Amino acid sequence: MKKIIGNSVSTGVAIGKAKIINKHELYIKDKKILKSEIKFELSRFKEDVKFVIYELDKLIQDYTYSKENRDILESHKMILQDPEFNKRISILISEDQNCLEQAINTYFTEAIDIFSNVNNKYLSHKVNDFEDVAYRLLSHIKGERKDVFVDVDENSILIMENISPSFVTTVFDKNIQGLCTERGSRNSHSSIIARSMNLPMLVNTMGLLGNIKDGEDLIIDGNDGYVIISPTKSVLEKYKAIYKVEQNIQRGLLKLIDIESITKDGKKISLMSNIEIPQEIDQVLKYNSAGIGLFRTEFLFIDRDDLPTEEEQYEIYKNIAEQCIPNPVTIRTIDVGGDKLSNILNITYEQNPNLGCRGIRISLQNVPIFKQQIKAILRANVHGNIKIMFPMISGVNELLKVKNIIEICSKELINTGIAFNADMELGAMIEIPSAVITSDSIAEECDFLSIGTNDLIQYTLAVDRDNQSISDYYKPTHPSVIRSIKLTVDNAHKKGKKVAVCGEMASEKKYVKLLLALGVDELSVSPGRLLIIKKEIIDCDIAEMRAKLDKILSCKTSKEINKLI
Amino acid sequence: MIRKTIKIVNKLGMHARPATMIVKAATKYRSEFRIVKSDMEINGKSIMGVMTLAAEFGSELELVADGVDEKFLIQEIVEMFLNKFGEE
Repeated sequence: MKKIIGNSVSTGVAIGKAKIINKHELYIKDKKILKSEIKFELSRFKEDVKFVIYELDKLIQDYTYSKENRDILESHKMILQDPEFNKRISILISEDQNCLEQAINTYFTEAIDIFSNVNNKYLSHKVNDFEDVAYRLLSHIKGERKDVFVDVDENSILIMENISPSFVTTVFDKNIQGLCTERGSRNSHSSIIARSMNLPMLVNTMGLLGNIKDGEDLIIDGNDGYVIISPTKSVLEKYKAIYKVEQNIQRGLLKLIDIESITKDGKKISLMSNIEIPQEIDQVLKYNSAGIGLFRTEFLFIDRDDLPTEEEQYEIYKNIAEQCIPNPVTIRTIDVGGDKLSNILNITYEQNPNLGCRGIRISLQNVPIFKQQIKAILRANVHGNIKIMFPMISGVNELLKVKNIIEICSKELINTGIAFNADMELGAMIEIPSAVITSDSIAEECDFLSIGTNDLIQYTLAVDRDNQSISDYYKPTHPSVIRSIKLTVDNAHKKGKKVAVCGEMASEKKYVKLLLALGVDELSVSPGRLLIIKKEIIDCDIAEMRAKLDKILSCKTSKEINKLI
Repeated sequence: MIRKTIKIVNKLGMHARPATMIVKAATKYRSEFRIVKSDMEINGKSIMGVMTLAAEFGSELELVADGVDEKFLIQEIVEMFLNKFGEE
């Protein structure tokens, strides 16, 4: 029996068998393409080869001190420049109608086959080079998207080094007991989804991969933050008992599903859900949420080689809106850093992406793409009750630009005669300190504000939430954060606008009373947290906490605040 | 068109490094360049092709160049063979 410590992402115990997911294995989709796709596939090949050669050139420059390494890289480059290689791939694509990945795989499989049978030891080890080149090329094409989930079943606990955003959807599509990653953070997207599904998960389980074999018995203790490999019989029994108790508590919470979220002193709080992928709608409906307070749309744009069309977006928004009727669905326009979109947009390298072209800035720099999203939302609003909100608003300027674009979209839709509904509430995300300070002007220009606490904390305290070495600086109850929320709420209320909190802070039991005392009108939480937070609201006496508010607001440190809440 | 028969005299045969040298040299010229070994014929500007020859010490190859600068191409390649690709 071995015990390895990690950071818990979602509470709860999981008991199952280890399944190691190695992302370095290549996945080749066996796919034929259409005649109409040939031209595109050929240009993709040209571009990808060009890029990998460029990458190799950079490496070769760095290896000037080692001739052996340089020669290997040179020979890789030569393979990519080989006229016969280029000819053969072109034939595999245009005549056999293979997709690029399949063509590359076929070519190198053939080559490896020939060279493994060659009676020359200096050539037979060339096979490694071919594998390297093929890998370099394919991993450039596919990023990290490879199918390595072959033997996963409902007993599995997945063990991974990390979950890249492009992996997330695949991971959570599986029916599993839980998962552990050697790296990662509590606030990463994958962690957010695990919580929404109440799936036990640990991150930062350092050394786990070196200590575990596929198929070993495994326990995740998400309450205390560790994994147990090959537990003894008595430990296993102990955890089975805990597991049973947890299931009972969950059953108790389920009884709250049809109860209204009204505080002890009679204030009705609208308790909404955050969703990241459409699949989460099942949880939203199951837990009878008052609607969706944050529908992230990033999943539509990352992990793909082309942009989603207006039609595709429309179908998805419409579907979610219809399922939520009569409750509102708050759609947030695309909120990613440029780095995530480099495969579909022309993005210049940024030294500091967190302060770079992301969120609304991407949309305003790529207006045609933004317009497609706006139009899809306007059209979907015919079928439900949609609100729209914009990420990374730093001041009133962006909001005015956005409103102008919405107007243009409406006019264009009128001209084409397509049905749409422009009667829609507009909201600004408050997550940049400048937006907090000018929240009075921002509130004038929109219908509601929504505080994204993760980014607000990150930008207010200048701390990267994924940087483990400085995670101590990430303090949700830092006086600056609490005062920022207060200022935002007061400014909005003066203009008669409501304020929601859709960041992780709203999902933490211990902050609920404080947020409500600060005057927040709406909480939007991960579906997996809905009932726990509902219980907190029901048990909350706002007046009681409000009596302490002056004292809290005059606190000098987050430690002092934590003692009071 | 020039044809030239040549014997491999370096001990290690046509392994990766000589193959690389041949392709690099041949690529500088505009002429077409092919190498024939018994019943096999490959593009001499293709690294994969040259390596598949896997020609060993003592075996015979025919070099075929065709184009405006065929003479210079053959000259450079033949010299490489004779110098045993700088091996000894």
